[in-house]
Amino acid sequence: MRNRLTTWWIILRISLEERLVYRGDFALGTLMRFLPIVTQIFLWGAVFAAIETTHGRGGTIAGYGQDDFIAYYLLTMISRAFSSMPGLASGIGRDIRHGTVKKYLIQPIDMLEFLLLYRVAHKLVYYVVAAIPFALVFFLCRGYFPGWPEPAAFLAFLASLVLGFLLGFFLEATIGMVGFWFLEVSSLLFVYMLLSFFFSGHMFPIDMLPGAWKTAVELVPLQYLAYFPAAVFLGKVTGAKLAWGLAIEAAWVVLFVVLSRVTFHFGVRRYSGFGG
Amino acid sequence: MSLHPSYVKVFLTFARNSLVRDMTFRANFLIDTLGSISWMAMNLGFYILVFQYTDSIGANTGWERYPFFLFLATGLVVNSIVHALFMTNADEFSELIRTGSLDFALLKPIDTQFLVSLQRIEWSSLGNLVFGVVLLGYSLVQIGYAPGPVEAALYVLYVLCGVAILYSLMIALAASSVWLGRNQTLYDFWFYITNFSRYPREIYRGRYGDPLRWLFTFIIPVLVAINVPARSLVRSLEPQTPEDWVLPPFAVVAAVVSVLASRWVFNRSLLSYRSASS
Amino acid sequence: MAVIEIEGLSKSYRVYQKKEGLRASLAGLFRREYRTVEAVRAVDLAVEPGEFVAFLGPNGAGKTTTLKLLSGVITPTAGTARVLGHVPWKRENAYRRRFALVMGQKNQLWWDLPAAESFRLHQQIYRIEPSRFDRTRDELTGLLGVGQLLGQPVRELSLGERMKMELIAALLHSPEVLFLDEPTIGLDVVAQYNVQGFLRHYQESRRVTILLTSHYMKDVAALCRRVVVIALGRIIYDGSLAGIVDRFGGHKVISLEMTDGQVPGDLARFGEVIAVEPPRVKLRVERGVVPEVLGRILAAHAVEDVSVEDPPLEQVIAEMFASSGAAPEQEGAESRQ
Repeated sequence: MRNRLTTWWIILRISLEERLVYRGDFALGTLMRFLPIVTQIFLWGAVFAAIETTHGRGGTIAGYGQDDFIAYYLLTMISRAFSSMPGLASGIGRDIRHGTVKKYLIQPIDMLEFLLLYRVAHKLVYYVVAAIPFALVFFLCRGYFPGWPEPAAFLAFLASLVLGFLLGFFLEATIGMVGFWFLEVSSLLFVYMLLSFFFSGHMFPIDMLPGAWKTAVELVPLQYLAYFPAAVFLGKVTGAKLAWGLAIEAAWVVLFVVLSRVTFHFGVRRYSGFGG
Repeated sequence: MSLHPSYVKVFLTFARNSLVRDMTFRANFLIDTLGSISWMAMNLGFYILVFQYTDSIGANTGWERYPFFLFLATGLVVNSIVHALFMTNADEFSELIRTGSLDFALLKPIDTQFLVSLQRIEWSSLGNLVFGVVLLGYSLVQIGYAPGPVEAALYVLYVLCGVAILYSLMIALAASSVWLGRNQTLYDFWFYITNFSRYPREIYRGRYGDPLRWLFTFIIPVLVAINVPARSLVRSLEPQTPEDWVLPPFAVVAAVVSVLASRWVFNRSLLSYRSASS
Repeated sequence: MAVIEIEGLSKSYRVYQKKEGLRASLAGLFRREYRTVEAVRAVDLAVEPGEFVAFLGPNGAGKTTTLKLLSGVITPTAGTARVLGHVPWKRENAYRRRFALVMGQKNQLWWDLPAAESFRLHQQIYRIEPSRFDRTRDELTGLLGVGQLLGQPVRELSLGERMKMELIAALLHSPEVLFLDEPTIGLDVVAQYNVQGFLRHYQESRRVTILLTSHYMKDVAALCRRVVVIALGRIIYDGSLAGIVDRFGGHKVISLEMTDGQVPGDLARFGEVIAVEPPRVKLRVERGVVPEVLGRILAAHAVEDVSVEDPPLEQVIAEMFASSGAAPEQEGAESRQ
């Protein structure tokens, strides 16, 4: 256990140093992530303005008012800060393609464990670095929020964030494992990114989708990557539905943990079969 | 013997070489083309969803469903051209100038900015261009408006101005990596800035919106790139503010000034260029 | 009228220091330390048309930097230079059409395309008339024996073949001045030999002015009569190859073959024993005392055969670098790129 903690600390320290080398990058990068939201806010502002001219004030779209939209997008920034895994799948694919995956097979390191630790370290660094810009933005925009959620809902929110991290990690890791069978992971990854962008709630609240579409999207775990935590915080998902939502999310996490392990196992078998 | 190469012929050779290369990696080419088309299709899907809840975007702006699709189509056209001609080159230039590998480009008896900006053409972006033109045609039909030759020519002119403005921003940012080092933030920056340009100007309204609109129209004229050509075609949106009269000629001026400014930045960056040691 | 005239050319760089550790990285956010590296210091040089000049020097001596200054790729910190009457760093098209730079292990040809396509691009850019282009290309590919490889993607060629293609690309527009930066580095012996032969033939028939930098003595000895030695950014020698030994060779090597097949053990008092293979032995002796030492040896021992030679050129040069404070360069050693 001590060993593991030492490894954590080393990884953390190196990651931090690495990020500090490019100081220009560092400072601006975090704030700039909020820029796309600005255009979304204006877009929805314009949509609501149009609705106002025809239907008068106080219109809502799928239960979301104008302020709700802004609050929603800001919250998805948080969900995605937990669930997005840049470079994970492509990194695995690349390691497989270039043969560097061997180092995980030869040395007594478990690949998934290592990647998970590394990712945790990176995320921690990111949160520390991003805390101030995030806090600033949220403080400035506090007027858009309908207030703090109840303690139970808030706990559920936190739980959904942690589950979102795990889900995002193991899902993308599994996609990366496909690299053991198909050399090009990037196409699959692209499809995943595309679907994820539109159906995770990143672009719009899933509640907006009409009937059949909505049901289809709810069957897929993508909603937990952006939509779910935001909806929980805003009180759009409550009570039994909330409990179920968390349970199903946990189930998805377990599924992908198993799937990533299984694909890794069989993938390695196949890989070694080629006399690497 | 003339001192200057025929820039047209050189460009055609670039185009040809790029095509040959893209065809060697046919699978990638297809995937890229399909990929960008799917992306655009989903985007369109998003707006179709939005229009389930409203008739137009913005109060009294005239951007109803089909005019808005025309706007999207124009965005596609402008961006696909910028992608096809300049995107890869700007990325590579940024990398070359940062790592000091630009030497060979500096040896050639040809304008360096021309060489660096156009040597690689991404034919797979043309899929988007086709999609854009089709959407454009479809929207015009639905609006029930057929532009005459003058309007069509002006549209093409404004599209080219838009391309020039976006190109200038792109290459200036890429060149600045010689001073700023690794360029991920720069690339993101370009993406975020042009993100603003993908929406009608009219949505930027209010205490923060008006200054933003002003900033991105007159200082960094990205808002002009897609708005001006789109608006020039949408008949139902007769000029509603003084700005609407000013913007088309301004677009042309802005395009010229942008390209000149980008050239200045480009040349400055070459002065600071440091060849990699051997 | 000299083709290349350099006066007081200097180039220095600022190199930023990165220190180890977390605290230093944080400090780096606010202030960065740097030191100045003087790559080229007040170099003076004149080269006449048709000369084949070698730049010799250890890694980091300034050879490549000088070539890059003369190609206009970088601008100097001080000093002037004129090549063919042009100031290189102005990068005039008129100048760029008249010279070429080839860098070993660096590719300018399109990686995924056949060399023929890159050549065609060259033709367009340099505006070479089609029939002249065809003639030159055929001549060059013939001389280097790569005609049948023109249609193959460059990435499929061997290192030697790629280098030959690079050379051809550089010569398609018939430049009057050619700068070669380590053209044979990384090539196998056969390819090196071919390239050397080609360069010699090309230079003799066309009377182009060539500046060549190399680590390999064989390149230099085979091709150039004039050698310029650079160390730590300064020129420390400019003359013939033989002259280097005269100026810098402080020692000579006496080779002895002993009559009775045995090597006496007391030879060390005459000089440094560098090799013993009975009946042969080699001694390193300071130049000035060679006649005297030789006399004493011959008087004391029965010698079958004797010869007096200059030390290997590499050794002389290594000593020359060492004495000027630079690290010596070994022939055949892996060169860091």
